[in-house]
Amino acid sequence: MSTMKTTRDVKGVGVSIPRPDGPEKVTGRVQYVADIQPKGLLHAKLLRSPHAHARIVSIDVSAAKALPGVRAVLTAKDIPHLKKKAPTRAHAVLAIDRAVFMGQPVAAVAADELSIAEEALDLIKVEYQVLPASIDPLKAMLPGAPPVADAGTEADTSEALAHSAVAIAKSAAPAKAVNISQQARLQRGDPAKGFAESDHVLEKTYRVPMVHQGYLEAHAVLAEWDRNGLLTLWASTQGSFNTRSEVADVLGIPENRIRVIPVECGGGFGGKIRALCEPITAVLAQVTKRPVRYVMTRREELQAGMPAPQVIIKLKTGVKRDGTLMALDAETVIDSGAFSGAVLAVSAVFLGSMYKWPAFDIRGFEVLTHKPSVAAYRAPVAPQTIFAIESHMEQIARDLDLDSVEFRMRHLIQEGDPMVNGQQWVAAGGKNGKRRGVGLALGGWLGGLQPTGATVRLNPDGSLAVLTGQVDIAGTNISLAQIAASAYGVDTDLVRITTGDTDVAPMTGLSAGSKTIYTVGAAVLQASEDARRQTFEIAAAELEASVHDLELTDGKITVRGMPDKGITLATIGKKGNLYMSKTPPVLGKANPAFTQQAPGFAAQLARLEVDPDTGEVTIQDFVIVQDVGKAINPLGVEGQMQGGAVQSLGIALTEGLMFDDSGRLTNPSLLDYRKLTAADLPNLETIIVEVPAPAGPFGARGVGEPPIIPAPAAIANAIQNATGARLTELPLSPERIALALVNGKR
Amino acid sequence: MAKHVLSCTVNGEPVEVLVQPYVTLLDALREDMGLTGPKEGCGTGDCGACTVHVDGKVVASCLMLAMQARGRKIRTIEGLAAADSTLHPLQDAFVRHGVPQCGFCIPGVLMAAAALLEENPRPSEEEIRYGIAGNLCRCTGYTKMVTAISEAAEMLASQRSAR
Repeated sequence: MSTMKTTRDVKGVGVSIPRPDGPEKVTGRVQYVADIQPKGLLHAKLLRSPHAHARIVSIDVSAAKALPGVRAVLTAKDIPHLKKKAPTRAHAVLAIDRAVFMGQPVAAVAADELSIAEEALDLIKVEYQVLPASIDPLKAMLPGAPPVADAGTEADTSEALAHSAVAIAKSAAPAKAVNISQQARLQRGDPAKGFAESDHVLEKTYRVPMVHQGYLEAHAVLAEWDRNGLLTLWASTQGSFNTRSEVADVLGIPENRIRVIPVECGGGFGGKIRALCEPITAVLAQVTKRPVRYVMTRREELQAGMPAPQVIIKLKTGVKRDGTLMALDAETVIDSGAFSGAVLAVSAVFLGSMYKWPAFDIRGFEVLTHKPSVAAYRAPVAPQTIFAIESHMEQIARDLDLDSVEFRMRHLIQEGDPMVNGQQWVAAGGKNGKRRGVGLALGGWLGGLQPTGATVRLNPDGSLAVLTGQVDIAGTNISLAQIAASAYGVDTDLVRITTGDTDVAPMTGLSAGSKTIYTVGAAVLQASEDARRQTFEIAAAELEASVHDLELTDGKITVRGMPDKGITLATIGKKGNLYMSKTPPVLGKANPAFTQQAPGFAAQLARLEVDPDTGEVTIQDFVIVQDVGKAINPLGVEGQMQGGAVQSLGIALTEGLMFDDSGRLTNPSLLDYRKLTAADLPNLETIIVEVPAPAGPFGARGVGEPPIIPAPAAIANAIQNATGARLTELPLSPERIALALVNGKR
Repeated sequence: MAKHVLSCTVNGEPVEVLVQPYVTLLDALREDMGLTGPKEGCGTGDCGACTVHVDGKVVASCLMLAMQARGRKIRTIEGLAAADSTLHPLQDAFVRHGVPQCGFCIPGVLMAAAALLEENPRPSEEEIRYGIAGNLCRCTGYTKMVTAISEAAEMLASQRSAR
């Protein structure tokens, strides 16, 4: 390939190019699932359990069925053919005889109008026998706690596999307590000896509540069956092929009976990977023989979505007076809600791998509770774990009067050092009585991998058509187009990229794990190189020259040194589509699988002001520094860094699903569950660092997840810098800060 | 329940539709008038995705009954660009600065920003931030949004002084 160089720099990789669908997005013309209005559309609603744990004694749907305009009312009795073991949330289509969290669907209605469906829900009579519930994960772990899963339900590790970020051996020890669904243990050296030889031992427990991803478009799906028994789903999903597989598994039909059309996705952040409402909507459409649309309300999202897990991390560290690390003892408890599926390994690996602990004992537990089950949220479990690590490291440095940056730099793991699972790290890189402070924290993500495909076609006008199945949420398609442009040798405006549905696109992975550019970008790069090679071979035959003597300039291939002897890309494209032509159409393809991850790290620095009377925090400056390998489209990279940082700041400052002792969510609205607004924030400064990833397209590494990780620790460290108070429970709300100052906690 | 006649002006055109008395303005726009630009993000007035103008004022259309709009002038995101479909300077700045990611909040943010600039043609950064504080965005971190609104304000101001 090196001999076929592009003879001038094309407008491609490294340039800030606005996404081409921008005008559609700013004019309100882009269609999301809820905007699609097929003829004969029915609206679905779900009746949800008002109790966290209850036996369903009886359900009477007769009055609901009799309501004019109601086309179907379903309970678990109507769908006996669907799997009963319910290993995942998606499999629990409707509660069978027991509801295991408040908001679990118990009955489903499809009606001519949404208001009729809502009225029908009121007419369904369910008799519940309320049962004791396990709400606090630490209590749920104890023997004798009210059980969540039925005996024999398997742990679900597919979320961890979907992210393919880290893998560790699962602990073989059987769970003693009924609600412990997964366990892991990692050990190195002799921690007891390490602690005995330490001068400074610090023990703290860090707590992070469940937080909701908060994508502005709630879960939504539109389902329709044709007369041949083919199901079409218009889905708001982060991965159409994954949605197809999960729905096929739940419905017990082959994947080739389902076509998933990925409609514009109004945000996912990990919450729209797994199937949720797709199976029941498909069943309603099957029963009514009509298109059925289901759109979750915000209240349903907060009560019964798939948030990030509650995480409790106990850390005990031993160090020498000069800061030499000696021993680490850690225990992570992850509250997975009513179904298994948390990413347990991430926490354990980060706890032991970010700094060079010579001896450690790290234990991880996934615990089931009678709360909504969890899913990924942008770098799952990393912001929570890094909050503990980076708060703790800062505190050690402070206790020992060491410079906290120097202390970190001295002990940070380096390239080639072994991670806890034996894997090696690969190349990474006050005024007015108010008190001011600065805080810093680091955080990284290993980067996911997933096989993927792409094709690149030369059009008769000399432009390129790139096809993948990649769902574009953040603006990744423009970056993929830039990769194709640079690899083939045309300007980006001559590349059109299409996200195909599951019937037409090459198999493509999730938009998750910070891997779209790293993996799909690599596929597009290889397919573009393949298309370029084919194009040059055709040109060589036409021009009776060697491919090695050809060059591509401004859409024309010429023989080097003979600028008059050439053939345009348009001519080659036309010959590939002429009746009786002997020239094959150019169709580059690539379908790589991957083995090498590309970790990406970010550092975040906050300068803030704390009002000691009210505990109110005002962020004055916030800087995000991130190694992105190569910024394919700096405009998009900055947007990812800024957006991720604000989600991280929300976890730090305001967010948390609050459950009472009975498992009822006490803040089921965006008024009471506060997400950050523009008025809460300063302008965010971004500093892009480029340390190329060896296997990344043009050196790019994942960008999406690292920026959501450091802020909780950075803010906690800045608050300590400002006030002396060390806070260990998120969110860092005014009440907590003010109380900590009153109580003189340090 | 009997439907009522809703007569109002939407994006400069007179409109007459039959709506149920309990239907929100947002649902009437989306379901009965085919204007799906305004979005429902929460249904409780907390997220701003449904923001439209009613007689020039910013309104969360999910909190207003459709019949309350009788005889009034409604402007939605579909009516922000010029009649010849030239983008409004705000829309143009949003595109150039790469503001939209998932895009779901964008129609509401643009309508809030347009109302802000009509009331306050030269807002400070803080005034812009408070002007869109009723609109949640989960993708962008707001920084590029604020920059784009500030730039559009300058452009509109220079257009006015040129006249």
